[in-house]
Amino acid sequence: MDLENTKAQMRKGILEYCILSVLSRNSCYASDIIRELKEAKVIVVEGTLYPLLTRQKNAGLLSYRWEESQQGPPRKYYELTAEGREYLTDLDRSWDELVESVNLIRTR
Amino acid sequence: MKITLSINLGGYSFNIDEDAYAELKRYLKNLELHFAGEDSSSEILSDIESRMGELFRARLTSYKQVITMDDVRYAISVLGTPEDISDNEGASAREKFSSRGYHRMYRDPDQRIIGGVCAGMGAYWRIEPWLVRIIFFILAMMGGLGILLYLILWVVIPEAKTTAQKIEMKGEPVNIHNIKDSVKKEFDTVTKKMKL
Repeated sequence: MDLENTKAQMRKGILEYCILSVLSRNSCYASDIIRELKEAKVIVVEGTLYPLLTRQKNAGLLSYRWEESQQGPPRKYYELTAEGREYLTDLDRSWDELVESVNLIRTR
Repeated sequence: MKITLSINLGGYSFNIDEDAYAELKRYLKNLELHFAGEDSSSEILSDIESRMGELFRARLTSYKQVITMDDVRYAISVLGTPEDISDNEGASAREKFSSRGYHRMYRDPDQRIIGGVCAGMGAYWRIEPWLVRIIFFILAMMGGLGILLYLILWVVIPEAKTTAQKIEMKGEPVNIHNIKDSVKKEFDTVTKKMKL
């Protein structure tokens, strides 16, 4: 068994869920998402975020639009699609179930 | 005194030290290879470049106007090397990017005298290219067979153009570590040539 690998696998699933949760509140650009994920300590290196965002966008969960920015070049703002919201609702439910199951086992 | 280069990174323009530029280019090349298997790899890369631009921008002040090696190292540590990124994706992703050690014959453009045929054969059989050249030379002296054979092989054997092909030519497995080594070697030769 490889502890680091197990941890990484755990984090990976959670990260996808967290990205969708951050975006469920309002549309963000990548650096906003990163700030939130870093505050919550669910992301180690920022480079992990970008392939996930692109994959979620390709899967139809996210869409993006370009917005002008005062500080620099235009920014890509991501938001959840209807499909993404549905997906997130499913994930919310399964997360609650998962926490419940794990707690049940741990506190037995 | 140092030479600086002017670059466009994610829509921002920067002046960057020469050595920092080489490091940055190497890093972006490694990422490109890492994401080569993805559907939208160019999109991922341009997103990462934009973020890098932001990180650099935040390090510049009116007193500090040039991106240095420190800034590049800082940005790499924030964004993560391809290894860091694949660690976070789990082991399955890491395996996906390393293929078996293919061993193919290519013409070697780096060691070539004429077309790189003998150099490529030498790399393939792991013998001195000069031995192969001598054999061809002897064959050429005996009625020109060597010349004809050489020309045919020149047409038939493809040239090792990409870094991955150069690694395949030597029969080493193509993975991110090997590619990194080769790319580093290439940069070193280029830098040396520039200084001469």
